[in-house]
Amino acid sequence: MPDYLETTVDKFIFRVATDRLYTAEGAWALADGDRVRVGMTDFLQQLNGDVAFAEVKPEGTAVATGDEVATIETIKANVEVPSPVGGTVVEANPALAMSPEAINQDPYGEGWLAVLEASDWPKDRDTLLDPGAYFELMKGQAEEEAQKL
Amino acid sequence: MSPEERKVLVVPCSGIGKTYGTVSREAAYEVTEDLRPGSTGLVALSLLVLGDEEARAAVQAHPAVTIDGCKLACAAKMVQESGGHVAQGIAVLDVYRRNRELKPQGIAELNQGGQQLAHAVAEEIAAVVDDLVSCEEAPDHA
Repeated sequence: MPDYLETTVDKFIFRVATDRLYTAEGAWALADGDRVRVGMTDFLQQLNGDVAFAEVKPEGTAVATGDEVATIETIKANVEVPSPVGGTVVEANPALAMSPEAINQDPYGEGWLAVLEASDWPKDRDTLLDPGAYFELMKGQAEEEAQKL
Repeated sequence: MSPEERKVLVVPCSGIGKTYGTVSREAAYEVTEDLRPGSTGLVALSLLVLGDEEARAAVQAHPAVTIDGCKLACAAKMVQESGGHVAQGIAVLDVYRRNRELKPQGIAELNQGGQQLAHAVAEEIAAVVDDLVSCEEAPDHA
């Protein structure tokens, strides 16, 4: 279980896992060597609401950094999740076909999207945000969204 | 048991301004006005939220089928908070997951997919209502 940074904005609680890196758009990357597990953040999943369907690029798909690695259909929108890392999809979360709600229930755990074999992880890693930086960015995004309510 | 006593209450979520909330309400209207008008009654969630005595008494006296548009499940929670019994909770999203071709869009006016999804939800509720009514009519429950 990772540790979390946590903030409350309006009535919502948002968490950021401290063991991984982030994009400003709300995707996370957790590396194990050159294999990088990716998913969407707690803020991004709460922003978009209950997930109806999750379509992850199938195994063997080559994905460039920033390209769509998954499309998530929620009750509010279709969300294209940009990959925080370039490489080849070696595993798409099989549980999401039957239980896409895992993305809402456990975005940093059971709700992961895919594992990629990174083509140049050190290069991608340098472009990502550490948990503290993403946390500060996300708080601003959350407060902006709260003002729209 | 009189028809009035056999009534099943349908309680849709409010979900004002939200597509799935609109599906929820449209489904409730279809069940109570068209599919099973004789054996169902509609309770507005807002009355339960306001603590309306008549609405609270109704949900305490009859089984309720709730329809919720999101995981907050306001309708199911308010029926329970009001002392009622949720005989069956229906989540619009679950019905949509089983009918992906019926993608709902629109709020004030649903698209065709939304209308068809509302119909699918209504059909599921009608089946639940039939089960509940036949259960109450069975000798063991007389």
